[in-house]
Amino acid sequence: MVDNTLDSPKGPEKKREILQKLRNKVGPENVSDKEIDKIAYSKDYWPITLRWVLEGKTPALPDLIVWPENTKQVSDVVKIADDEEIPIVPFGEGSGVLGGAVPINGGIVIDIKRMNRILEINDKNLTVTAQPGINAMDLERALNKEGYTMGHSPQSIYCSALGGNLSTRAAGQFSTKYGKIDDMLISLEAVLPMGEIIRSKNVPKSSTGPTTERLLLGAEGTLGIITEATLKIWPYPEERALRSYSFENLENGLEVIRKILRKGMFPAVIRLYDEAETARHFYQTSRAKGKCMLILVMEGNRELVDLEKKVSERMCEEHGGIDCGEDPVNHWFDTRFNVKEASDFAPRDIVFDTIEVSVTWDRSLDLYSSMISAMKKIDGVLIASAHASHFYPQGVCFYFTFGGTPVKGAKPEDFYRSVWNAAMRSCIDSGGSISHHHGIGIMRANWLKEELGQSFEVLKRIKKTLDPKNIMNPGKMGL
Amino acid sequence: MLDKVKKYSWLTGAIFKANLSTKRQILINFLTAKKKYVPKAEVDSILKCALCPNMCRFDCPVLKVEKSEASSPAGKMRIAYLLETGKLEFSEDAIDLMYKDADCDACKQWCPFNFSVGELLVDVRRDIVERGLAPKSLLEFQERLKKEHTIYEGGITSLNMDPKKGGDVLYFAGCTTLNKRKEVADATIKILEKAGINFTTLPEEWCCGAPLHTLGFHDAFREFTEHNLKTLKKAGCKTMICSCPACVYAFKELYPRNKLKVEHTSQFLLRLIKEGKIGPMEMNEEYVFHDPCVLSRKLGIYEEPREVLNNISKLKLKEAYFNKKDTRCCGLGGVLGITAPEISLKIAKNRSSELKEVCGSIVTACPACEMALKADKVLDISEVVLRGMENRNGG
Repeated sequence: MVDNTLDSPKGPEKKREILQKLRNKVGPENVSDKEIDKIAYSKDYWPITLRWVLEGKTPALPDLIVWPENTKQVSDVVKIADDEEIPIVPFGEGSGVLGGAVPINGGIVIDIKRMNRILEINDKNLTVTAQPGINAMDLERALNKEGYTMGHSPQSIYCSALGGNLSTRAAGQFSTKYGKIDDMLISLEAVLPMGEIIRSKNVPKSSTGPTTERLLLGAEGTLGIITEATLKIWPYPEERALRSYSFENLENGLEVIRKILRKGMFPAVIRLYDEAETARHFYQTSRAKGKCMLILVMEGNRELVDLEKKVSERMCEEHGGIDCGEDPVNHWFDTRFNVKEASDFAPRDIVFDTIEVSVTWDRSLDLYSSMISAMKKIDGVLIASAHASHFYPQGVCFYFTFGGTPVKGAKPEDFYRSVWNAAMRSCIDSGGSISHHHGIGIMRANWLKEELGQSFEVLKRIKKTLDPKNIMNPGKMGL
Repeated sequence: MLDKVKKYSWLTGAIFKANLSTKRQILINFLTAKKKYVPKAEVDSILKCALCPNMCRFDCPVLKVEKSEASSPAGKMRIAYLLETGKLEFSEDAIDLMYKDADCDACKQWCPFNFSVGELLVDVRRDIVERGLAPKSLLEFQERLKKEHTIYEGGITSLNMDPKKGGDVLYFAGCTTLNKRKEVADATIKILEKAGINFTTLPEEWCCGAPLHTLGFHDAFREFTEHNLKTLKKAGCKTMICSCPACVYAFKELYPRNKLKVEHTSQFLLRLIKEGKIGPMEMNEEYVFHDPCVLSRKLGIYEEPREVLNNISKLKLKEAYFNKKDTRCCGLGGVLGITAPEISLKIAKNRSSELKEVCGSIVTACPACEMALKADKVLDISEVVLRGMENRNGG
């Protein structure tokens, strides 16, 4: 897999020369070619890379790691890489689950963690401006301390950086009210693949042609590196209401959510679990046994929250929901960051992963059934289940979980890819989009062409124009 | 047990419904797969941590200043896993990395497995020591400690009190209090005297040994525990009070089971207040309380010092944004001051700034924190209590 551009074809002398150039630009303390650093940056949270850890393999080592401290240094490093035609892999905190930050072609990892300052919290405009290396939880805590929230709370909030969130178009668990990270973005600054620095205007909206800077959103570092961003914030909610209801089946649960949103009401958290996931997460709630659990969190202004609570209660009851109280929601709050499946099951050669897709309401149930059935057809799949956790008046995001083990001598990686391929095929055939908020990385790269159709060719042309030498995160997103 | 059965019914149910080949394979996996990846028991937790997406990283003080993946909690554990399974050589860089930890347990707060990276690293360091690969500076530290019985070169090991003085209570000051924060020991002794406590100190205090344990010097640590337990038995006291939370933790959690009742000074002071042995106190000053990691997280003591301070009239006690179990390391956690002083200083600077945002005067309850933190005034709880007593009673 590795074509160590610096180690093999050009030799150690060239590597020394480049190392020196980089040190001159960013300081010796901000460049490393130590073995332990190369190993540390050889993976993200793609399950395939977890297999590498288990097997003690490091097939995707970078040649060098650079930690720039400001935008100019990012630009300087990118220019050196462009001149020398060395791959660059931008790295935030490595929580991506599709291989987007894995240096499969070696080269230079640019870690943005040393650019982690909050530059401004603007109360009047309700914005925060920050550098991309800030940890998402550090950002949220800093805002909370000053009486605000960004409302961006993905499961990876503890272990992801703002830059990574923007580069994958991430979504937090409170997204139905606050939106996804791309909805929160006001403006950004970025370094393009030849070192140019672009900066968009910090205004709420403009009509000045296509928003080119938004190309960086979801580009996973293939079109440049985001170096600063201004985002929307909100006053910290003064009230929070928790409700939960169980429904006879997924259809009934989805229907009530659709109607709630149709009224123009946007609870911060809406999560509807299918029967299998209800049994897994809410086994202590007897009123949910054999049913589908819906949890709701409404927050914000006290009067509005009271009203939302009243309306949602009435609607859930009208649709046959059984009141399960606040306990299941508190249980969700208590356990939502307990990420332990990989640690528990990977050493037993049991593969677990999640796949999130989006679909319009009219196709939602078909897509759910088709994808569950497609995954279960793969020999060795033990569980395939889902919950819906991000909602729109137009449709829904399903978040599938599968788990199983390769059988009849199949390799874990082959088994894993078979389940993914079945799920992706089924998603496209059912009219869904192959990713709602995790992105493409390596794992979905082969499916992006079919997903985007002719637009994929447009994306390739844009990439070719901005990055003619293809140095920015090559091999990701099929680019 | 029943809850566990219910908890995993989703999995057992799925296995039950699976076809025969899947069932068979799952059974084989549960019985045999792990052996391939976990050659010895200690590696199990290390591997679990290595396979985590680093869910505690945002609260790791070392990572906050290093800002490098290798220094992240799971990053260190991945290197540890490769070392412990023989897939990576014990290079100088890899060995150094295994000592870059503050043992502050911030990670444990967020870990679904309740792991402390600091505790997991102790096993790795013990292995490094057994392989004869411990860094020279640490070996020298061990030798000096064995010879001088204090972690400070040429340091003192005694309060030089009247050797005949006996009592039910033993005051164990600890190396750092004796050598760097003698004022704390003096204040504690004065309080005990004023409260009429029949107490004593040891003619020669050996280090509790906690640094030896943390550095993986298992044999030397055992020597210290044996010596201290023998000495303490001879002293015949029922209760031992310590100024240093690390000493309390060592005696309570790291030593072999013993009958000694060990308390931190903040606990003992609260008891004296409740029993009416410490009279009214007054201090018209403002302080922010810094919770030492070992005290608040490892020992769960964070209400007691606040209760003590809230008994001092006119004292305005302020809270840091990160407080109690959510406190942040002062930089001298574990043995970081010895193994990575430059990181330790940066962490101290971060925490000092956070506290100074709230108040220029800090009160805390650990001599190491008091050494590390920089502010207009940094006092120990015993110093504040003594001043409060003196203000009210004219000394």
